[in-house]
Amino acid sequence: MASVTITGVEKRFGAVQIIRGVDIDISDGEFVVLVGPSGCGKSTLLRMIAGLESISSGSISIGDRVINTVPPRDRDIAMVFQNYALYPHMSVYENIAFSQKLRNRPQGEIDRKVNEAADILNLRAFLARSPRQLSGGQRQRVAMGRALVRDAKLFLYDEPLSNLDAKLRVSMRTEIKALHQRLQTTSVYVTHDQIEAMTMADRIVVMNAGQVEQVGTPLELYDRPGNLFVADFIGSPSMNFIPGRIARENGAVLLVGQDGTRIAVPAETKASDGQAVVLGIRPEHLSLRDGTDGVAAVVEVVEPTGPNIQVFVQLAGTRVCSILAERHPFVPGQPIRLGASLTQMHLFDEKSGKRI
Amino acid sequence: MSNKLVRSIVYWLLLSPLVIVILFPFAVMFVTAVRPRDELFTFPPSWFFSEFRWDNFVDMWTKVNFGGALLNSLYVSVAATVLALVFSIPAAYALSRYRFRGKGLYRNFLLMTQMMSPIVLVLGLFRLMVAFGLVNNLNSLVITYAAFNMAFTIWMLQSYFNTIPRELEEAAWMDGATHLRSLIRIFLPLAVPAIAVTAIFIFINSWNEFVLALTMLRNNNDFTLPVQIFSQVAGRYQIEWHHVMAATVLATVPVAIVFSWLQRYLIRGMALGAVK
Repeated sequence: MASVTITGVEKRFGAVQIIRGVDIDISDGEFVVLVGPSGCGKSTLLRMIAGLESISSGSISIGDRVINTVPPRDRDIAMVFQNYALYPHMSVYENIAFSQKLRNRPQGEIDRKVNEAADILNLRAFLARSPRQLSGGQRQRVAMGRALVRDAKLFLYDEPLSNLDAKLRVSMRTEIKALHQRLQTTSVYVTHDQIEAMTMADRIVVMNAGQVEQVGTPLELYDRPGNLFVADFIGSPSMNFIPGRIARENGAVLLVGQDGTRIAVPAETKASDGQAVVLGIRPEHLSLRDGTDGVAAVVEVVEPTGPNIQVFVQLAGTRVCSILAERHPFVPGQPIRLGASLTQMHLFDEKSGKRI
Repeated sequence: MSNKLVRSIVYWLLLSPLVIVILFPFAVMFVTAVRPRDELFTFPPSWFFSEFRWDNFVDMWTKVNFGGALLNSLYVSVAATVLALVFSIPAAYALSRYRFRGKGLYRNFLLMTQMMSPIVLVLGLFRLMVAFGLVNNLNSLVITYAAFNMAFTIWMLQSYFNTIPRELEEAAWMDGATHLRSLIRIFLPLAVPAIAVTAIFIFINSWNEFVLALTMLRNNNDFTLPVQIFSQVAGRYQIEWHHVMAATVLATVPVAIVFSWLQRYLIRGMALGAVK
């Protein structure tokens, strides 16, 4: 087990810069998820930690040792690939045992380790089979088994669940988390799925266009997103954004929407008068109001999800989503009023996108 | 009759002229090879003969020096195949896995060499072999056959190598293997179909090659099979057709064996290379 320190890391392919100065500290035993849209550089960064891509500048250390030029085989890292990368000409047993055979471990020890891993992952019955005789979920577990026997300092996961169907993905997610709680091996996990990131991570690193947008625990990112990108990326359905300008009237601070709608925002905000801002409110924080309370909205679409209903409305000139637990019989075109608590509002500068 | 059966019969009928074109020379070869000598030139020509004269093969073996020529052909074809593969596999691997300057140019160069007929190069090659002191030496053929086949084999191997996921090697490196180890334990076993296919091509091309062999070899003892059989026909007052045909029949046997042994790879390898 070990900590990982990434300092000022950059990656260029010719003139194209993929990673632009990334700094991340991962402590011993931590489960860190790199998340971001495709092409944001998260997989490249993971491959740089693994040693499969060179580092253009900056440094990566595992423990106290800088590993920039250390070949992958000497980094003591185990990796689970997106397509599993099981050796097709070897049986499940041979796949799991391969790393141990390379190290010339005694046969008895190899047997013991492979069986141990197979027990943890419920693979005992499949050890003699070849990978093509296995289902997607079983292949995934073999890939995990291959990492498990290594007793490596660091586990890397490159979108390991993206080839599985939705149901299996959820159960494997839990298995991987349980495994980490048991082994406490430092892990870096790459995914584009923010729900995977939220559910599995000790800490999440949100990446975009080769840069780190924000680092924090799942709930920190959810409750206090540092900028518009993180606010939009984390959470599903994503946060509602209402653009407007700040106005101060009789001690109250208001957001004046593009259609003139006035919405009260937290009075202690540092936003100046007339500043162009974006108000962010999560769908579940909007609630139904009566009389003159809240803001007027017109129902457009109602989508029942089972536990809730999602109501899409026109509010202050934009389409806004609200998640309501009560099963209101709304019809399209119906006028309603929605409101939110001031503590659950987020204000961002429109130009920089930063939280105010 | 089911629709499918009707369709099969129609297809077979349509293809049958092609089958006749392919099989006719073999039939002539075979009936001539097993005929008694005095029935060779009956008129009108007939498919029938009085007895199977298997002795023709035995006589031919010693008279034509078939054994020697067979060994020469085997040596040249196997050595050319091995030599071409030894150079093609690393070249194709590099083309498939590494980025380097001039890669596209190199691939085009390989393709362009395939547009030239070996015949136009014969004179130049002969003078080259004279300079190397390799005329009348089977190794001159080994080198030229390997060289002529390499462009095609590199191209063929590369397109197959591209279908082997890079992650498999990366996984082996992460597991603690060196580059060489991952090549031997992971990559090459997966490349066997492609290697088998290219081996067939080189072997058959080398086995059947005639013009270069005729040019480079002067000594009867060095002749490969095509040249040896040709020498039984060319510049003779009396041609022993039954021996020539017996030799031709036997000369096709090794190719047939190699082909049937490796053909399961051929289909798999060509299909895989074609799709990607």
